[in-house]
Amino acid sequence: MQLSREELLQAYRRMKVIREFEERLHVEIATGQIAGFTHLYCGQEAVAVGVCEHLDASDKIVSTHRGHGHCLAKGCDVDGMMKEIYGSREGLCNGKGGSMHIADVDKGMLGANGIVGAGAPIAVGAALSLKLDGQGKVAITFSGDGACNQGTTFEAMNLAVVTKAPCIFVFENNHYSEHTGFEYAVGTNKDIASRAEAFGMKVWRADGTDFFAVYETMRDVLEYVRDGNGPAAVEFDTERFFGHFEGDPQNYRGKGELERIRAERDCLTNFRQKVADAKLLEGTVLDAIDEEVLDQIDAAVDAARAAERPQAEDVLTNVYVTY
Amino acid sequence: MSKLRAFCMPKWGIEMSEGTIAEWMVQEGQSVAKGDLICLIETDKITNEVEAERPGVIARIIEPARDEAIPVGALLAVIGDEAAANDEVDAFVSGFAPAQGGISSNAKKGGPAKPAAASPKPAMKIETNRPISPKALALAEEEGVDLALVEGSGRGGRITFQDVHQHIRPAVQPVLRGPAKLPAEDLAIFASPLARRLAAIHGVDLATLVGTGPRGRISKNDVLSVAEPKSGGRRDTNFSPVANEPIVVPFDKVRKVVARRLTSAKQDIPHFYLRISVAVDELLALRKTANLVLGVKATLNDYLVMASAKALAQHPDINVQLHGEELHKFPHADVAVAVASPKGLVTPIVRQADRMRIEQIAAATSQMIDKAKQGRLSYEDMDGGTFTVSNLGMFGIEEFAAIINPPQGAILAVGKASRVPVELDDGDLAFETQINLTLSVDHRAIDGAAGAQFLSTMKELIEAPEQLFG
Amino acid sequence: MTKMMYRDAVRSTIFEEMQRNENVVVLGEDVVGGMGTAGGPEAIGGIWSTSTGFYDAFGPDRVIDTPISESAIVGAAGGLALAGKRPVAELMFADFIGVSLDQIWNQIAKFRYMFGGKTTCPAVIRMAYGAGFNAAAQHSQSVHHILTSMPGLKVVMPTTPADVRGLLREALRGDDPVMFLEHKMLYGVEGEVPDGDYTIPFGHAKLTRAGEDVTLVATGLMVSRCEAAADALAEEGIGCDVLDLRTTSPLDEEAILDSVEVTGRLVVVDEAPQRCSLATDIAALASEKAFASLRAPIQMVTAPHSPIPFALELEQAYLPSADKVQAAVRKVLDWR
Repeated sequence: MQLSREELLQAYRRMKVIREFEERLHVEIATGQIAGFTHLYCGQEAVAVGVCEHLDASDKIVSTHRGHGHCLAKGCDVDGMMKEIYGSREGLCNGKGGSMHIADVDKGMLGANGIVGAGAPIAVGAALSLKLDGQGKVAITFSGDGACNQGTTFEAMNLAVVTKAPCIFVFENNHYSEHTGFEYAVGTNKDIASRAEAFGMKVWRADGTDFFAVYETMRDVLEYVRDGNGPAAVEFDTERFFGHFEGDPQNYRGKGELERIRAERDCLTNFRQKVADAKLLEGTVLDAIDEEVLDQIDAAVDAARAAERPQAEDVLTNVYVTY
Repeated sequence: MSKLRAFCMPKWGIEMSEGTIAEWMVQEGQSVAKGDLICLIETDKITNEVEAERPGVIARIIEPARDEAIPVGALLAVIGDEAAANDEVDAFVSGFAPAQGGISSNAKKGGPAKPAAASPKPAMKIETNRPISPKALALAEEEGVDLALVEGSGRGGRITFQDVHQHIRPAVQPVLRGPAKLPAEDLAIFASPLARRLAAIHGVDLATLVGTGPRGRISKNDVLSVAEPKSGGRRDTNFSPVANEPIVVPFDKVRKVVARRLTSAKQDIPHFYLRISVAVDELLALRKTANLVLGVKATLNDYLVMASAKALAQHPDINVQLHGEELHKFPHADVAVAVASPKGLVTPIVRQADRMRIEQIAAATSQMIDKAKQGRLSYEDMDGGTFTVSNLGMFGIEEFAAIINPPQGAILAVGKASRVPVELDDGDLAFETQINLTLSVDHRAIDGAAGAQFLSTMKELIEAPEQLFG
Repeated sequence: MTKMMYRDAVRSTIFEEMQRNENVVVLGEDVVGGMGTAGGPEAIGGIWSTSTGFYDAFGPDRVIDTPISESAIVGAAGGLALAGKRPVAELMFADFIGVSLDQIWNQIAKFRYMFGGKTTCPAVIRMAYGAGFNAAAQHSQSVHHILTSMPGLKVVMPTTPADVRGLLREALRGDDPVMFLEHKMLYGVEGEVPDGDYTIPFGHAKLTRAGEDVTLVATGLMVSRCEAAADALAEEGIGCDVLDLRTTSPLDEEAILDSVEVTGRLVVVDEAPQRCSLATDIAALASEKAFASLRAPIQMVTAPHSPIPFALELEQAYLPSADKVQAAVRKVLDWR
């Protein structure tokens, strides 16, 4: 294990922040506190954090409609995000974007995205820019098993290969594209990585509910891409603890499925088990982090509720730089 | 916090640019009720009392009474809802910016509502940092428009020609036709919305029609061609008259009296008629201002009654009744106003109208009209009278000659106000608003020259209406 | 007459047409819902509940649940139509025409023309459009003006359940490609639906309020805002014709011009931003062909020139409201 104690604590804290952020949103939305369409990342935390712990602000990521986890893992401000989701003028996007369009370009977070499959070509462009800069930085696009069926994703993979763009296609296979099963919707050998392979990319596969597996895999992937070998792809097998969007009745789930994946495939439980087995971190320390995170999320919700609301005249700001 | 309001030098009439405070009737800290006198203001034409428009407390008097002219719009006093702290008032005074409406020295050269009449005004020069189109600026300068009052509809608030043009046009009172009956939707019949409505109005059965509109739809013309047969082939040249029996209505008492008196007046009195056009732009502008300042709702006719009364006072030869072979000349003008009532024409009298202020005339006429409409006019309301004003301008009548109402010696018939092109001194054309006055005179009592002089005085009074307040 | 929700009008009409004509097929993301899951087909039945029960009744060959692949969905609808079927493709959100625009614009709109009239392409592409759910910039847009600008497409925007049934039947029985735009705020609205197998011709606007002072023209959700304004104004004696266009291509020019010739005043209300919109299109029509009747400049009450903002307050400020419509009516009445 090459992670320091501080790095382990930070990784755990980040995953826990995502988890509690999403769990709290689930409640806030159900009680009518938040408007709009929201897609929660709960269950997939190990992927976002395992990937982003390797990155700094000059590496770029492009996210999806299920983007809160990527944003938080990439270092977006918790309060700023909560305020945005509440539609406040003080939110990360001044209340203009909301859950599906959170972005923080200074942090290298080029935006969540409401259009499935729209992110991959954007990441290729960002990667080509980073290639020009020559600093060994990479761009990462997160896609699900839904987005992997969009033509844009195919086009982006081929474009990245032919241009040797330092772009990593991270496929988070949570087994559901909206309400449709992965088994039905993805035709290639029932996996996604082999598609990337067919385009000529080197690919990796790992368990997306195991932070350490994600982290170790990404070390190799990043080393390969930063070395100038062109794009790469990685498929993480993971779980979505909530529905496609908040309000989804999830009738497509099997009986007891949610309870089972929460019990057996929870990346936080998995992490705690692993660090306890290896005697790396004490449970009490992690418990303390849990408490701090809960307080932090409480404070973020309080701040978001009290935050300034936007005004009608804000509608027309930032449509253009100049006009 | 008290809500503070500015009390400014009012503007009475188009040409008033400054006024002098003759006397304050209130002191700082004093509470006033609506209608309480606040001060006396003098202009070179009139002295007027100014009343409080709403209850409040005089927070500060800025301009003391003194023999010095103060421009229109300048802050004279600050009035609060309730007593206000000194620093609040200080802040209000320092933050006060006079409305630019008509107080700049430029504005003197051409007030906004000044109609282009006798002589063309030299164009003013407008300096503004607001975005404005060149044509709009030219129009504003030509018309003397205060741009502060104009909202720009263009991008970034740019003022367009249309904005300025709209600003100088008089407000309209659109004639509304209101909601109409919505024809029922019948999915089996393919007809345009208007065709459906017309079919309902004309009782046409749409099912019998073949549509010639887009995609075979029954359109307006398909319905109209059946409803109002017009085209050659269908036109029927034989006309069959239907019964046209009259409805017999016997005269009631009032109509009998009216009929008898008008017959004898028309037969017995040797009428002659004098006609003159007068410009009323100034009067209309003054009425607007006076209505604002005085809070009265005087009609144009009220002002004409007032002008008649003042002119009659100056011309006692007209202010007469003829009784047999006696002429009765009256010192004061009792002006009868012809009013259409449910029972026919009635002529209630505004007594001693020459001594009344405009708001008194307005109150008297509106009371009379109300009574007339309810049929409650008493004999006293209508007995006597030295002169009558009859106005049919509201019906769009341009001019007419009225029958004298005996024993009076004359009656004035008033037509509608029309925009009329007039030639200016330099040969240019401009528009002014004119009304036509026709005086019917009893030649037994009044000579032609006397009638003419009376009308000439009326014209002067109406065209320089400040005199009515003198 | 039967009382029915807008979404049920969509669902029942397609269902009946599928029974009536075996060439009608349905395709789209999650139109079955639950394919490849433990819950199985029909576990969800489409996120708008507009295709519930189809799969069980007609099977996988006629009810095709697709991956998230909008370009392929629309393109496949085009291919199905060229090969003799009557596809009803669902785009879920109208915003996703962005993903599939080539297939809509360069392909299905133009097949018949490019092929010298030797074929038809009777594809119906359904999509949920419109703001009101705080779904932000990529899930709230009104796209009718974009589609209306494309020769070869018919564009339908029903406002009531009754119109849904008549217009959708017309779409499914006609031989041209039809963009069928359903306002997502209207799905839950209930209305009386006439019995019987009626159709409503395209290009046939509906007058929903009658008055002789001002003409209000709108589509979809905006119709109810015009009606609210018209009802309030009627109490002051101001009469408004409210025209629900129902289809924007073809456009019922006659109904608009007939009304404007009576009223002399036109207010166009459009949920999309004004530039190059349906509002400007109708304003241009009236100024070209009813100039002599107009007594005031045409007013357009539209969204501002901005993407659709997320926050509640911003979305409300963004959308045309009954108050804004009333203000526009007063403005044309007060025109000097």
